[in-house]
Amino acid sequence: MQAYVPIIALAALAAGFAVFSIVAGALSGPKRYNRAKLESYECGIEPTPQAVGGGRFPVKYYLTAMLFIIFDIEIIFLYPWAVRFDSLGVFGLVEMVLFILTVFVAYAYVWRRGGLEWD
Amino acid sequence: MGTTPYLVLSALLFTVGAVGVLLRRNAIVVFMCIELMLNAANLAFVTFARLHGGLDGQVIAFFVMVVAAAEVVVGLAVIVAIFRTRRSASVDDASLLRY
Amino acid sequence: MTALTRQVTEIQSPTIEYGLLAPMLVVFGAAVLGVLVEAFLPRRVRYPVQVVLSLGALAVALGMVVTLADRVEVAAEGSVAIDGPTLFIQGTVLALSLLSVLLFAERRVDPGGDAFASAASSLPGSEDERTLTAQRVQQTEVYPLVMFSIGGMLLFPASNDLLTMFVALEVLSFPLYLLCGMARRRRLLSQEAAVKYFLLGSFSSAFFIYGVALLYGYAGSVRLSDIDRAVSEQVGSEGLLLAGVALLTVGLLFKIAAVPFHAWTPDVYQGAPTPVTGFMAACTKIAAFGALLRVLYVGLGGLRLDWQPLLWAIAILTMVVGAVVALTQSDVKRMLAYSSIAHAGFVLTGMVVVEPAGISSVLFYLAAYGFATVGAFAVVSLVRDAGGEATHLSRWAGLAKRSPLVAGVFTLFLLAFAGIPLTSGFVGKLVVFLAAWQGGAWPLVLVAVLASAVAAFFYVRVIVLMYFSEPAPEGPTVAVPSPLTAAAIGLGALVTVGLGVAPAPLLTLAEQAAVFVR
Repeated sequence: MQAYVPIIALAALAAGFAVFSIVAGALSGPKRYNRAKLESYECGIEPTPQAVGGGRFPVKYYLTAMLFIIFDIEIIFLYPWAVRFDSLGVFGLVEMVLFILTVFVAYAYVWRRGGLEWD
Repeated sequence: MGTTPYLVLSALLFTVGAVGVLLRRNAIVVFMCIELMLNAANLAFVTFARLHGGLDGQVIAFFVMVVAAAEVVVGLAVIVAIFRTRRSASVDDASLLRY
Repeated sequence: MTALTRQVTEIQSPTIEYGLLAPMLVVFGAAVLGVLVEAFLPRRVRYPVQVVLSLGALAVALGMVVTLADRVEVAAEGSVAIDGPTLFIQGTVLALSLLSVLLFAERRVDPGGDAFASAASSLPGSEDERTLTAQRVQQTEVYPLVMFSIGGMLLFPASNDLLTMFVALEVLSFPLYLLCGMARRRRLLSQEAAVKYFLLGSFSSAFFIYGVALLYGYAGSVRLSDIDRAVSEQVGSEGLLLAGVALLTVGLLFKIAAVPFHAWTPDVYQGAPTPVTGFMAACTKIAAFGALLRVLYVGLGGLRLDWQPLLWAIAILTMVVGAVVALTQSDVKRMLAYSSIAHAGFVLTGMVVVEPAGISSVLFYLAAYGFATVGAFAVVSLVRDAGGEATHLSRWAGLAKRSPLVAGVFTLFLLAFAGIPLTSGFVGKLVVFLAAWQGGAWPLVLVAVLASAVAAFFYVRVIVLMYFSEPAPEGPTVAVPSPLTAAAIGLGALVTVGLGVAPAPLLTLAEQAAVFVR
């Protein structure tokens, strides 16, 4: 049972954060409604009868999706490292920092070249 | 349960992917078939890792996934570029380079 | 719980021999720095910074490879092998990359600037593209891309396990797919080349990785030495082994452009920007041959009797198809592409004999071929008309009357390809054929000599065309290059003649290098 204490603590923490966010948002946020917000499946875009542009997505979606995939997939290497964090010690830490820095270089490039701007 | 069914599935996926690459005409679909082949390899790696009782195969699958993600980015960039020029992603249309 | 803890403590930090990996680390480091340069420096200083950074890093890495000579060790927990063949190929690739980057940096022969599109994302023929060209916007992303590719090429022949080899294969390929699509002139052609190269390239690497998966299933490891041990102990199912080897070699033979996996070569070589074509034709092929050598000799040496007949067939096919189809080509770049296919066949001839003489002859041939190839494509980039490079062979008629120097240098490279004495190509062919003959592969040598004769015919045809035809009235002009291209062509010609006249030092080096670490 002892081994499950951290898991239970983490679950409680996560649940607490979720509840806190919803309650805090409901209490502190302004409440303004417009037509788009009242639509079913509200996501800020008014539904149209047919797909806009013949069902094709603008190319900027592609860019964002690709960025997401790249940065998302890098996480793969963090999991095994996190599991063996203790035994890999300083070496593992240094290597992982180097790895993250390299990924960050790509991020800096995307940011400076305007890849993160939507319009 | 033995590991054979997984290997058979992996071989089937690989074949479906390879045949798709040869038969389909849309560059995006061809590309999806290639990704299917990579994932078939992943399934084989994980199954063999189980068979040999090691972790190597699972780690290799991670690397293949990362490579596949990078491949998606490069590939779609190339395909989007030619699509914008040609308004078509059919591999049959790309026929300027011939004897 | 206790069992788990014990398992955790058993894992130890790997040891990384940074000294042995230094050449690769320097090149990759320069590539990452290059990305930062693109991100943070203003546009006008990027070009000089990138060129100096790339050339500097390549020179430093080459120096490091030289200081590492004679080391025979495995590094990074056995996943990288630093031995004679690795260092020889790394040195050759680095030297040829230096020449290629010089060609990349050339900005004087095209009125628009360098050989690359102002912005790869601009639509060909659009207003956007015209504005960018008019403003002489030059893109410098090609330098980090080519550095990443070179880094992959250094790792590829050094990989001692198949996973490292797969990652290296992809690291060297991805930037090349992009570079192929970036030509300034004839952009649609270039983009088509990129799509074809990408689809076929990733198709072949999917075969490669599935082959690795099957070999892993056979041997329980992807380390080449473990696979070798499993083969000699005959554990596991032979079906897995043979299927794995077949798929794996398909992936590698694709990269060296051996028939029947050569279909992409002429299209991609023709469509890609010429500096990229030269770089690909020389460096990719050399690195891929290094990897093929290591896989076949170190990992699958025990399986020799199974793969040798297959390699025989592929070598014969490659030489014959390359030489014969080259005869019918009317485009210089396509002709050189088929000639590179034929050369892959000649190199395979030397690989068929599993002996040190085979390895050293292959290493020498690759170096000789690489320098002539980079030089030849550099010359192709100089012969131009209003639409860019004039690559159609009919346009080259009477070139010697317009520019005796350029025609003369191109003749030298063609003679080297043909294997005429006093050029590097002759010595290369001689050592490869001798090694194959002594290894008992005399029918192969016979075919190779016949194929060389056919190949010599179409090289000589171009020479005749340049010297003994009347130039067309509004024929192409020969651009006067900046010192960058001039240096690349000069060095290529110098090495081609040098290796033909005094091949002994490099031959000795190749002989000393012909030992794999296991």
